[in-house]
Amino acid sequence: MWVWFSKLGSPKWFYELSGKWLPWLIAAMVIFMAIGLVWGLLFLPPDYQQGFTSRILIVHVAVAGTSLAFFPLMFVAGTITLVWRMKLADMVAKNAAILGAWFSFVTLATGSLWGSVMWGTWWEWTDSRLVSMLFQLFLLLGVISLRSALEDSDTAAKACALLSIVGCINVVIIKYSVEWWNTLHQVSSPVNMDASSPNGPEFWIATLIMIVAVYLFLSVSLILSTRNEILERERKAQWVQDLVLKS
Amino acid sequence: MSSAAPQTFSNSNADKTMLAVRDLFCERDDRVLFKNLDFDLPEGQVLQVQGSNGSGKTTLMRILCGLNDSYEGSIKWYGQEIEEQAASFFSSLLYIGHRVGVSKVLSPVENLRWSCSLKQAVSDEQIMAALKEVGLRGFEESPCYTLSAGQQQRASLARLIISPALLWVLDEPFTTLDSKGVAMLEKILQRQAQTGGSVMVTTHHSLRIAELTLLSLG
Amino acid sequence: MTGKQTTTWAAFLATLKRDLLIAFKKKNDIVNPFMFFIIVVSLFPIGISPESDRLTEIAAGVIWISVLLASMLSMDSLYRSDFEDGSLEQLLLSPHPLFFLVLAKNISHWLVSGLPVVLVSPLLAYMLALPSEAYGTLVLSLLLGTPIMSLIGSIAVALTVGLGSRGLILAVITLPMSVPILIFGTLAVQSTLNSQSPVGYLSLMLVMLSVSVSLAPLASGAALKISVN
Repeated sequence: MWVWFSKLGSPKWFYELSGKWLPWLIAAMVIFMAIGLVWGLLFLPPDYQQGFTSRILIVHVAVAGTSLAFFPLMFVAGTITLVWRMKLADMVAKNAAILGAWFSFVTLATGSLWGSVMWGTWWEWTDSRLVSMLFQLFLLLGVISLRSALEDSDTAAKACALLSIVGCINVVIIKYSVEWWNTLHQVSSPVNMDASSPNGPEFWIATLIMIVAVYLFLSVSLILSTRNEILERERKAQWVQDLVLKS
Repeated sequence: MSSAAPQTFSNSNADKTMLAVRDLFCERDDRVLFKNLDFDLPEGQVLQVQGSNGSGKTTLMRILCGLNDSYEGSIKWYGQEIEEQAASFFSSLLYIGHRVGVSKVLSPVENLRWSCSLKQAVSDEQIMAALKEVGLRGFEESPCYTLSAGQQQRASLARLIISPALLWVLDEPFTTLDSKGVAMLEKILQRQAQTGGSVMVTTHHSLRIAELTLLSLG
Repeated sequence: MTGKQTTTWAAFLATLKRDLLIAFKKKNDIVNPFMFFIIVVSLFPIGISPESDRLTEIAAGVIWISVLLASMLSMDSLYRSDFEDGSLEQLLLSPHPLFFLVLAKNISHWLVSGLPVVLVSPLLAYMLALPSEAYGTLVLSLLLGTPIMSLIGSIAVALTVGLGSRGLILAVITLPMSVPILIFGTLAVQSTLNSQSPVGYLSLMLVMLSVSVSLAPLASGAALKISVN
């Protein structure tokens, strides 16, 4: 009975609830994003070491911090899919993988943009955060390609759930082992890694605002894409057909 | 009888219902295969599942074996849900599907040694006797890729002779058999029913077995 | 009635024996990845440099990466024929814990694909001008690392066993996961070359191996159930 309820009840409940929340979330996102971007990119005083480059870092740090949330999110969604067979969790997981890949990519792009100014190189293997982010991107692409390869949606949901759980554990191990690997190769590095943390309270406040903004952006995009997914997968359900007829 | 039957066996109803299926619902790719499906399988019965192509016969068989868990409803084995007693249910179950479970590089004997020993201890004499009974005498040690589809099917069916399982679930076991093979399998199924076991079988063939009941899908 | 239920240990042994027998009869599945491994290693000196100094530097990495690539090829045969001929369904319907049956298949697979690679590695290390004092560490690191690859790869193979063509998706899923093994395996050899003790790295790999042995077969079993569904 519980399984039945969660399978059919939840998507509709989520759709209605998220519909009420969305305007508020979008408004908050726009406000934080505007403050963070305008203040951070245009008015923040330049860092004494890095000059204006520190402004890119605000975006980079915010996106990078958010990127780390995807695998834990998919771990939780995957567990729910496997244990309680909740369809909604799989819809979230599917979009989280795609969004996560984009976020990881943007992290790498902004990171190498910043690196190109600071270090004079677009790619630096000695930065362990970039390297582990690269492998997180690979793992996410693996989850996405597994889903696209499996035809049966039920099988795909469970298989991706399992892979996300294994991947989440793996991404933690990769992160620590890459850091370790990195400290051992540091000696040969031409780059001064200490220069990567700018000072000044304004910088941190701007970064904090940006982090909140990016998290809101993440929530909004995840909710929007999950709502689309719900409409597509539940297109035969009565409430979806009523909804379409009404609009 | 097998030690696998749970304790509820003795104080269950007088009709000795082995498998009780209630309110079974299965949906695949947005298509409802069956809903509100109810049936009982008592001891000593052969239940033939009929239905047109795509009516969900194979899916039903796989659900009953626990190979497919995308269903709603209740499947009870001697009064207890199969999910709650998977190990003891599996030891009283023998399933042969479309893919008969015979490795092509191994010989019938080597195949049976493995597939039987997943469930119960078995001697080479038993295996040889069973292979003789299904008409594979002389082919015991040949690799299965040299055998015809019907012979591979027979190698797989030899497990029925060795197995003490109470419930057999057979998905289209007659397809590749010749007329002699069909008669042989009917005899084996009848013997299972007469010794108190049960069989669920899908086939379009009309079976000549006294203990037969029919279940139609779709 | 005939026969008592087998012990889990007997079912484990029967599965191990059967898989070894199949490997023995289907030698191609085993020999080709092994040849691939040796050929890939031999290509590096031609592509990079025949100078022994440069080869020494890259030897451990070359051997380790070739091992990972070769294991991608050999993994494919782990569950494929069992899935196609229906033996996998029989395995899943066994009353014994799936953990041990999957473990038996993984061990058998490692014995025929991982172990030969470990045994031949000193020869390849010699050809890549790796100083002889590092042979021991290389062999030990491979001995600990290749079973981890088999165990992790098994999960990915189990997830993709139902797909028609899956050679590439298997690599896309598994290779990123092998980064930690690659790091510790090569670091162990490097530290021996720098006359430091490799014990730390090797014991870390031992920890990873014990964790994989206790968790990966569970995940593989779950993955097989999902794929056969």
